[in-house]
Amino acid sequence: MPWRYISGRLLMFVITIWVASTIVFFLPRVSGQNPLAEKIYQDAQRGGYQDPAVQERVRVFEQKYGFDKPLWQQYVKFVYDVVKFDLGRSIYLWPKSVNEILAEGIIWTLSLGLLTLLLAFLVGSTMGALLEWKRNNWGLMVAMAPILALSAIPFFIFGLVLQLLVFNIDREYPLVYGYQQGVLGWPDWSDWSFILSVLKHGLLPALSITMVSLGGWAMGMRGMMVTTKGEDYMVQAEAKGLPERIMLTKYAVRNSLLPQVTGLTLALGLIVSGVVLVEIVFGYPGVGGQLVQAVSRSDYPTIQGIVFLLAFGTAAATLVLDLTYPLLDPRIKSLSN
Amino acid sequence: MEQVQTDTPTMSWWNSLATRSEFTRDRVVPILRYMRRNRLIVFGLGAFVALTLFVTMSYLFYEQEDLLQERHGVNGLVKAASVQANQKPSWNPWSGYPLGTDVQGRDIYAAVVVGIPLSLRIGLIAAAIGVGVGMVLAFVAAYVGGVVDAVIRTIVDSLIPIPGLLVLVLVATSLNPGQGLTVDQLAFVIAVLAWPGPARVIRSQVLVIRERGYVEMARMSGTSALGIIFKEMMPNLAPYALASFVAAVSGSILASIGLESLGLGPLDSPTLGSMIYWNIFTSSVLLGLWYWLLPPIIVLVVLFVGLFMISAGLDEVANPRLRRRV
Repeated sequence: MPWRYISGRLLMFVITIWVASTIVFFLPRVSGQNPLAEKIYQDAQRGGYQDPAVQERVRVFEQKYGFDKPLWQQYVKFVYDVVKFDLGRSIYLWPKSVNEILAEGIIWTLSLGLLTLLLAFLVGSTMGALLEWKRNNWGLMVAMAPILALSAIPFFIFGLVLQLLVFNIDREYPLVYGYQQGVLGWPDWSDWSFILSVLKHGLLPALSITMVSLGGWAMGMRGMMVTTKGEDYMVQAEAKGLPERIMLTKYAVRNSLLPQVTGLTLALGLIVSGVVLVEIVFGYPGVGGQLVQAVSRSDYPTIQGIVFLLAFGTAAATLVLDLTYPLLDPRIKSLSN
Repeated sequence: MEQVQTDTPTMSWWNSLATRSEFTRDRVVPILRYMRRNRLIVFGLGAFVALTLFVTMSYLFYEQEDLLQERHGVNGLVKAASVQANQKPSWNPWSGYPLGTDVQGRDIYAAVVVGIPLSLRIGLIAAAIGVGVGMVLAFVAAYVGGVVDAVIRTIVDSLIPIPGLLVLVLVATSLNPGQGLTVDQLAFVIAVLAWPGPARVIRSQVLVIRERGYVEMARMSGTSALGIIFKEMMPNLAPYALASFVAAVSGSILASIGLESLGLGPLDSPTLGSMIYWNIFTSSVLLGLWYWLLPPIIVLVVLFVGLFMISAGLDEVANPRLRRRV
């Protein structure tokens, strides 16, 4: 195994996590104050210090964040806690822990994000490959024009357009939220009609992400195919009479796919931001929706938790992609030995 | 730019232009000729010219008072809240409001006209800071090398997987809780994360260009390091720097609408993003207020597609291999 490559990637992952937790700690303080402490004492004043529940709350936050301690001690403890995923408790939904809140939301975000990402990557890359392979195919070129134009606009803007369109076609179609809220309001995964409603609610957000990202992958793949098609091994493959199907899949696509995977690792952060915004537009019950609520309630521990969780998730996904890269590209193996 | 032989015979108009002066012959005509082939840049710039014309024409011919009121956003809101509180949103192009009025009785047309320059301003300020800082870092990294390069590269690489919008949310929520930021403050917040991308792209280009023959030549003939950077490398970096500037403008406008859609922007100035926010906030789609949601969306689509075309066109300038075969 290419150990140097793996250890390098692991180190980068650790640094990213450290940078993320540092950002999460310091950025809220750029104004010179600690908004979290201010918010808690403000609430305490409003609620009255006499109330034992309020006193208890202030005590828990003081103990967790140590507002009276020097900044560097607060920082070290914060990073240590965050890396252990001890994200504290929510202010607004007290005494719920941030972890509990995130656990509710992340399933929705993860399934929406991963499904659409995979779908867009696969379909987009296939389109791009065919676009270059079958030159002057008018059907493909006509289909590409709107997809390319779409790729320039943000996911959530297209989401708004979809909402407008669907609303004017079918007034009954669910435009917001993640599922049909039953009598209890809780998700009931054993009920088929509930699962159907989840799919129905998820269709529009998924479409708005997939349709917009198709173009980017298609153009990237097309660009790589242009280069690959000019390589000597393609000429040789043709000369020895390989069937076109094999030339396309085993030679051209296989070699063009690698830079696409690199592109994927670079785009992940942007995609996560985009998915969060789509969730906001569609009132989806994922972490994006939770983020809006936390922002409007100045619930700093939850905001920090969501930011750290998504940064962690993106960094972890990047690490996984980086570690599977040698399996896709055997050259890396030999390079480091 | 090199001469293109293929399109000379039929070019009588070009040729008459070319005979006018040396400057037009040597500078303007090649660019115009190149633009005839690179349609993407033309369409992209066309989108911008159209938007600019739309804004300036509106300022010239539309009733000034409405625009001014919108520009000093607070007044617009206060006016709407106090004087016209019971005015319902309406869409009647012949009533004096060409695009109708929103839920607060504000003139949608005026809001769009005032909003376009505001949103562009955010994008331009943030992108200028981002590309400037990124360029300086890129040159420092590539030239000093060693530990400095490693540190800058590691920071840039570690920032790339972190979802930028969320970091900006952290900054924006803590800067001015409850009151929102001004347009310029929002631009500076966005600039916080606008530099890693340009730094990354430009650094790799500096490394490539530094090894070119003409740079070697200048170095041997005793040009100073700054002279090499500004006289030899900058002109050749220009297409890349421009391309990353355009990409940064587009990214910054996207970030600004994202933050504004979360309710973190200047909610009292009618930027395109805060129009979108109020649309989401009041669920205008469900209320059937399409005429309030569509104008900012159409403008944003024109803006983003235009920027995308310019940056794709500049890519072609920077990488001649991508040029269309004539």
